[in-house]
Amino acid sequence: METMSPVERVLRTFEGKPVDRVPVFCAMLESRTANEVLGKPLISSQRSVGFPLTRLFLNALGPRATGPFTRPILAGLLHRRNAAQVALGFDAIWAYYDDTWFFLDSKTIALTTGSLYNVISDGFGNMTYMYRGPGIKSPEDFDAWPHWPRADEVAHRVFRYYKRFISRYGERACIFGCGFFGGLQESMNWTFGIDKAPLWIRRHPVYVKRFLDIVEEVTLKTHTAILDAGVRVVVQMDDFAYKTGPFLSPRMIEEVFGERYRRIIGNVKGRGAKFVLHSCGDNTKLFDLFLQWGVDGFHAYEPTSNVDIYEEKRLHGGRATIIGGVGIDYLLTERSRDEEIVEKVRELIERLAPGGRFILGPAHSEDSIPAHKLRVMLEAAHRYGGYPAAS
Amino acid sequence: MKQSLLDIRNAVTEIRDEDFNALVLRCLQEGHTPMEIVEEGLARGLEEVGRRFEEGEYFLADLILAGDMVTGATDMLREKMPAGETGRKGKVVLATVQGDVHDIGKKVVGIMLGASGYEVIDLGTDVPAAKIVETVRATGSSMVGLSALLTTMVHGIGEVVAGLVEAGLRDRVKVAIGGACCSQRLADEMGVDAFGESAIAAVRVFDGFRDGAAI
Repeated sequence: METMSPVERVLRTFEGKPVDRVPVFCAMLESRTANEVLGKPLISSQRSVGFPLTRLFLNALGPRATGPFTRPILAGLLHRRNAAQVALGFDAIWAYYDDTWFFLDSKTIALTTGSLYNVISDGFGNMTYMYRGPGIKSPEDFDAWPHWPRADEVAHRVFRYYKRFISRYGERACIFGCGFFGGLQESMNWTFGIDKAPLWIRRHPVYVKRFLDIVEEVTLKTHTAILDAGVRVVVQMDDFAYKTGPFLSPRMIEEVFGERYRRIIGNVKGRGAKFVLHSCGDNTKLFDLFLQWGVDGFHAYEPTSNVDIYEEKRLHGGRATIIGGVGIDYLLTERSRDEEIVEKVRELIERLAPGGRFILGPAHSEDSIPAHKLRVMLEAAHRYGGYPAAS
Repeated sequence: MKQSLLDIRNAVTEIRDEDFNALVLRCLQEGHTPMEIVEEGLARGLEEVGRRFEEGEYFLADLILAGDMVTGATDMLREKMPAGETGRKGKVVLATVQGDVHDIGKKVVGIMLGASGYEVIDLGTDVPAAKIVETVRATGSSMVGLSALLTTMVHGIGEVVAGLVEAGLRDRVKVAIGGACCSQRLADEMGVDAFGESAIAAVRVFDGFRDGAAI
């Protein structure tokens, strides 16, 4: 078979059509890995945010500094992480662009949807974040939250970013667009607290509805913006599960999110694009529901969760594209041996490539992933992934 | 079993939280001791919730809702309990390792352990190994539960184990781990005694520690 372009290879895989080899997907990159690929920036993000004057500035101005100061920095950081995925040579990349994060003070960043994160070092000279907790702890907090996202403004900026990105990289990789952090359930978990979200559903259904209305509107509009910019695949992050199963019962997930997701996915597919759902953890009990919503492909299949990627291929591989399979808990860390990565890639391809609809890739991104381990994975996928040998 | 205790048990099992505290108060007024209510009502109900969770009928949200009911009721009853009746199964030190601030799993484990009769000393998140070791020494606890979600932070588990060894406490302290990045492989790698996959499994792990070690 003739060598295909990355875009053709990936889109044909979603259709279940023959391709020249198994495509390889990059599930975002953190700054550490991006810097290894692109070279370090002149001033690291950790130093620029940690500089005493910057801290003074952020503490004094807080959210007011977002537009003129932090947004361009954030945009630059995210762009490096996206461009590095292309530079590594992946067929498909998860291009994440969401500039609605803002500094509350020099130690706290927040999402417009009401969750708080510590500004921390990643241990490699870069600024990163770690979830601190909910920004909204009561209905009164909800009513008083002044930062709710303005969907149209967010969508305009997302459109501009992806338009430029596609014009520069659109031929080199199939771009999976993602213009707003968190899906419906995940956003709710961050905003209200994972351990409090079920209590909100039960005790404050009106506020849950108001919250989901906001997130759905931004999601719909950013997806439309991404598609208008020329992106052909939308990836939506929404962690519905954890290590051993879903947070909520499938029945409750359908009740609370079902109709909304049908609208969100319908919007994407109505434009002829593909919809990929990234959901960490063991989603075994949810895949049928997700398929009813219209999802085209699933990403993660974390090896540390109880999900069985091979069984999922058997059950759903005829309808959905399976994306992922390579663990970041051990294989894509300094602790593994390169031969172990090669062996796992070979096994995944042998067992999942026949019949198509399989895109190999890491289950997630983390600072612990060295670039050279991704290169080992890529080379192994290129070596063993050729069709029809794999099928 | 008296009807009022059964009502409490059933309310927990079926996660009916409307007027639940009133039900508990009525039980007290009928003459049941706080410990009877905890053991025969709340704990039994939570056991059934755990069983349904393990069988796939209930989900994490159900554990949270039931746990919230039991925690609220236990807090109310604790004030009326004689000293020494709480935490009869021993003390467990829980912590999320240094560098990691995720704690939903640990919180649920704490609720389940508390309802099962353990005294839980939850040190929170991002806890340095030295603090965990010092707490074990100061409280005389013989069980430690460590939570880690991020692969980048797993070295924190090894630091706690090394700290316990250095302090001469390792021989009398059992250590269990749990969290998204944890596995039996990691437990073996880090030299801990057990890996718990879920909050319900964690109760079994600590019960197992008790059975195997004098508390």
